[in-house]
Amino acid sequence: MAGILIPFLIFTPWLTAILVWFISDKHEEGLHQFASAGAILSAILSLLLLSQIGDSTISFAKIGPLFGNLSFSTDALGIILACIANCIGSLTVIFSAEYMKHEKSLARYYSMVLLFIGAMSGLVLTANIFMIFFFWEITALCSYQLISFYNDDPNAVRGGLKALFITQFGGIGLMVAGLLIFGYTNSFEIGRFIQAAQGGEIPANVLGIIGFTLIIAATAKSAQFPFFTWLPDAMEAPTPVSALIHAATMVNAGVYLLCRFFPALEAIPGWKMTILILGLITILISSLMAIFATDLKRVLAYSTVSQLGYMFAAIGAGSVLACQFHLLSHAIFKALLFLCAGAIIHSCGTRDMYKMGGFFKKIPFISVTFIIGSLALAGIPILNGFWSKELILESIHSGTPIIIYILMLFSVILTALYTIRCVWLVFFGEPRSDLHVHDAPFLMALPLGILSLGTITSWLVFEPFSRSLSNSLPLYGIPKETLSELVSKIFWDPYTFLALGMVAIGILVWFLRNKLPLHNSITRKIESISLNSFGFEAINNGVVNGINAASEAIRNIQTGSLNWNIFGMLIGLICILIALMIGGL
Amino acid sequence: MNTLVIIAIVSLIAIGFYCLIITRNILKIIVALQVLVKGAMIAMILAGKLTDQMELAQSMAITIIVADTIVAVIGLAMSIQLREKTGTCDIHSISKLKR
Amino acid sequence: MPMNPLFWLLITPIICALILYVVGRTIPPDDESSPNKAAWLSLFSILLTVVPFVLTAKKFTEEGPVSLTAGMITLTFDGISLLMTSVLLVLSAMVVLFSAQYMVAEDHEEKFYGQIMILMSSIMGLTTATDIFNLYVWFELMAVSTYTLVSFYRNRTESLESGIKYLVQSAAGSVLVILGTSILFGLTGEVKISAIRESILTSSPAVIAATACLLIGYGVKCAIVPMHFWLPDAHSQAPAGISALLSGIVIETGLIALLRALSAVSHAHLPLGTIFLVIGCINMFIGTFSALRQKEIKRMLAFSSVSQMGYILLGIGFAISFPASAQNAEGIFTHIFNHALMKGLAFLSAGALVYCIKVSKGNHEPLLLDDLNGVSAKYPLYSLAFTISMLALGGIPLFAGFISKWQILASGIAAQRSWVAFLIALAGINSVLSLGHYAPPINRIYRHVPNNDEVAVSPKFQQAMIIPIIILTVAVILLGFFPGITAGITKVASETLYTMFY
Repeated sequence: MAGILIPFLIFTPWLTAILVWFISDKHEEGLHQFASAGAILSAILSLLLLSQIGDSTISFAKIGPLFGNLSFSTDALGIILACIANCIGSLTVIFSAEYMKHEKSLARYYSMVLLFIGAMSGLVLTANIFMIFFFWEITALCSYQLISFYNDDPNAVRGGLKALFITQFGGIGLMVAGLLIFGYTNSFEIGRFIQAAQGGEIPANVLGIIGFTLIIAATAKSAQFPFFTWLPDAMEAPTPVSALIHAATMVNAGVYLLCRFFPALEAIPGWKMTILILGLITILISSLMAIFATDLKRVLAYSTVSQLGYMFAAIGAGSVLACQFHLLSHAIFKALLFLCAGAIIHSCGTRDMYKMGGFFKKIPFISVTFIIGSLALAGIPILNGFWSKELILESIHSGTPIIIYILMLFSVILTALYTIRCVWLVFFGEPRSDLHVHDAPFLMALPLGILSLGTITSWLVFEPFSRSLSNSLPLYGIPKETLSELVSKIFWDPYTFLALGMVAIGILVWFLRNKLPLHNSITRKIESISLNSFGFEAINNGVVNGINAASEAIRNIQTGSLNWNIFGMLIGLICILIALMIGGL
Repeated sequence: MNTLVIIAIVSLIAIGFYCLIITRNILKIIVALQVLVKGAMIAMILAGKLTDQMELAQSMAITIIVADTIVAVIGLAMSIQLREKTGTCDIHSISKLKR
Repeated sequence: MPMNPLFWLLITPIICALILYVVGRTIPPDDESSPNKAAWLSLFSILLTVVPFVLTAKKFTEEGPVSLTAGMITLTFDGISLLMTSVLLVLSAMVVLFSAQYMVAEDHEEKFYGQIMILMSSIMGLTTATDIFNLYVWFELMAVSTYTLVSFYRNRTESLESGIKYLVQSAAGSVLVILGTSILFGLTGEVKISAIRESILTSSPAVIAATACLLIGYGVKCAIVPMHFWLPDAHSQAPAGISALLSGIVIETGLIALLRALSAVSHAHLPLGTIFLVIGCINMFIGTFSALRQKEIKRMLAFSSVSQMGYILLGIGFAISFPASAQNAEGIFTHIFNHALMKGLAFLSAGALVYCIKVSKGNHEPLLLDDLNGVSAKYPLYSLAFTISMLALGGIPLFAGFISKWQILASGIAAQRSWVAFLIALAGINSVLSLGHYAPPINRIYRHVPNNDEVAVSPKFQQAMIIPIIILTVAVILLGFFPGITAGITKVASETLYTMFY
């Protein structure tokens, strides 16, 4: 059964993506309906796949020489992520039917979104590392095309190319790791690699290279330090794309990669600590940047980066369960937040929060759903964000040095601060400019409603969640916990109240911001550093300028003069003679 | 005797390449190419003498002559075109494609 | 001999070349906008050549390498010949069909098709040569047939310039080839490559001089870096179909000639593997950096050919250095096959765009990056094909380029040396950098604001341009999903490479 469902799960969105080209931009209504139907069908297939969770690997034909077999695994890690990708994907496609009304090139838009959904399913379900790389690069292609969807806007094109380069650069890490795995185990199967690594068959230095190149790939894809600069610029994409790709699915691919290879790599000295430190630095930097940002989508982008940092920290602390649970919660509430932001931006035409204000009375439905999402983000009980964040904090507290826990608590303050700032600037206070907003039409309100419901209730599935992960991934050391265990563990833990206290402090700082001694030079300095992305944007620009300069310099060797060309030939002859003499004699 | 031939080969090749590097006149470039090919051809004959296979070497040398004559003919045709288009035989007058 | 299919394989294109030149010269086309009769005759003769090719291939799979002997000269059809001939036939059929419309109403149109047929025959002959001198003869024939194809637009000084530079550099290279050949002949007294390989077992100054001369001489033709300066000019100024043929098959054939020649000294303990690895890396980076800031599309594609040759040279370096890699050397040949298709698609779709925008109005200016703004609205099919070729060349999956690059790098890692990971990282960095010149044209094409508001042109025989583009696009996508399609021919080519060097 799973052997039939999995290929269908990948091919349904891909087939829809191809057929959408044939429907073309002339039949807009048909496009919206057909794309939504395809997305909903794949969502249903993914939910059906939930029943097939087990620990088997399904192998189809051999792909070709040096590529391994076309194999998929039915474990919970992959299937749950596939469900998230497909369900949230279908909700964003439905949202797009309204958001992208009367836009041009819709066929290209829908085909890229559907291609992406299929590729994401493939990425998490496959058990062959070459196929992971295959789907990984396809998601990078879709992300690039969708960010630069508005090709006439130079900012969008620049953002798209930046995302492409940075994530592709990370992809080199995945490629090197995949090839090394093939070289030293003679197979592309992940299961075989985990077995070999745990059995000590791979030399320690090679395993170290594999571990750290996979970290590079994951940090680039999930926009962690030092590769985080592409995600805020990716906000030039249409907002449903931001919700799907840059909040709920593609950026989770990095986290997925680390979780998938966890049992093979956790024993490498310094591996988990590196991930923990990277996650922590990311959380602190991006939270600071979110506090000072003025663009609504950028705040959400930085918040995504920061929440992914939480997931990285969970892996660094050793708890794959906490990481995946937070991934589930975050996908739901972040998609909710982005779609609400999309609805707001679509109706009022600006992304600048300092032009908004007082929207609560004008657009009550969007306001309520946005506030539900932001409560989950800040970690207020009983929403899903609270439970998963507490689980992460608990695993950090028990598994890592105390200084890390203290810094995490500080980050909880920052998270609460930027969340309340965002909510307050947009929805409360006096309107700062004369903007017209209207509440969400049905096709936009439906996904918002479904996602808010998910935000309130998704934590209830914790027990089957942890049980299926634990049963289907025996080597990963995932504990089985019941819901009541989780609730009582968190309720009776005094550290939970410490964390809640931090949230309260963050909210208080916002409301008392004019009374506290905050308008001094230190805050201004932090603000200007944050607005400049802590110097990383400057590094990016430096790299781009350096490459352009090198290119211009190298172009000069093409002199256009026949005499120089023949001279070059003779230089080549002399060099080859020298090389052969050094090596041959 | 063989050393003399080797010196001749090396000097012909050196002269040929030197002219290719220095000259601007397309006709001199074609002549330089011919000088180069003749040098290489003598190398072929020398190789035949050293290994006592003169017939094989001679047939190869004749094939080389044929090949390089065709190249010279095409080259000279292009030189005529160059002269008609720009009025000079200077290749620097058509060095527009660079970088 | 008349019963030997290899004989007919080599002779058919030459006979057809003569016939179609006479026909094309004497029977004028129907009107100003119809192709010369020679175009359809050449397409027919390519299809006719497929018959002896299939027979030879069948004989090869049943009995092993097929030989043809004429006096002292033996031609042997082995795995590498099989691969190169199949690439050649596919690509030249597409190019000739495309050129039927593209070259309409040019002067001397019939000579164009005649020379393509001779080029085909010379390539097939080169890949079957077993003599070091016979190799040079076919190589020279191939070079001569391309000299006037490159400078075909004789009324443009840029074409003439690129033709002259190409001729002089290629002829200088040929001189070095003759020199190297004569040194090897002088050392051993043999001309058969297999015999030379058995005779030369240690390195000496003479062997080193011969190897260097051969490497540089053949290297001019296969665009190894200090000898590649003719390539951007020639490939950008030639007509679209010829650019496709040059980038797709001619430089690879130069590489095969180089390999055959170097296999003669493969037992002489020379560090050829390391040299190829270094040359491969240099080619990749110089090609990519030179292409990054180009404003003309075909010049950018020409530099990208230099870079793609770097990947193939890297693969050859792995194969020569490590026996384990040579046993898994399918990647090299898959990349030769896929690159021919992808580069052919790129040049043909760029050619279709420049035809509709410029050439059909008599304007032979090159296609600029700015000309691509908003072009997808008027020419959706050509735009999609060009986009797919750009993505394929950049190594994005779903397309053939990703598959062949992975195979080359996987063959390197099969040797289990951890420093190979560093080279793989370099190749990966180069791939990422190359996206810097493959991706921006795609963004330009899908803009909504066009460069100018001209009406879309529909030439008379548009199917002649559309069909090869569709076939190549489908091939590029299929090979991206089912790499097993070409696994048969690349495997035998890889085995032949192994026997050549070990």
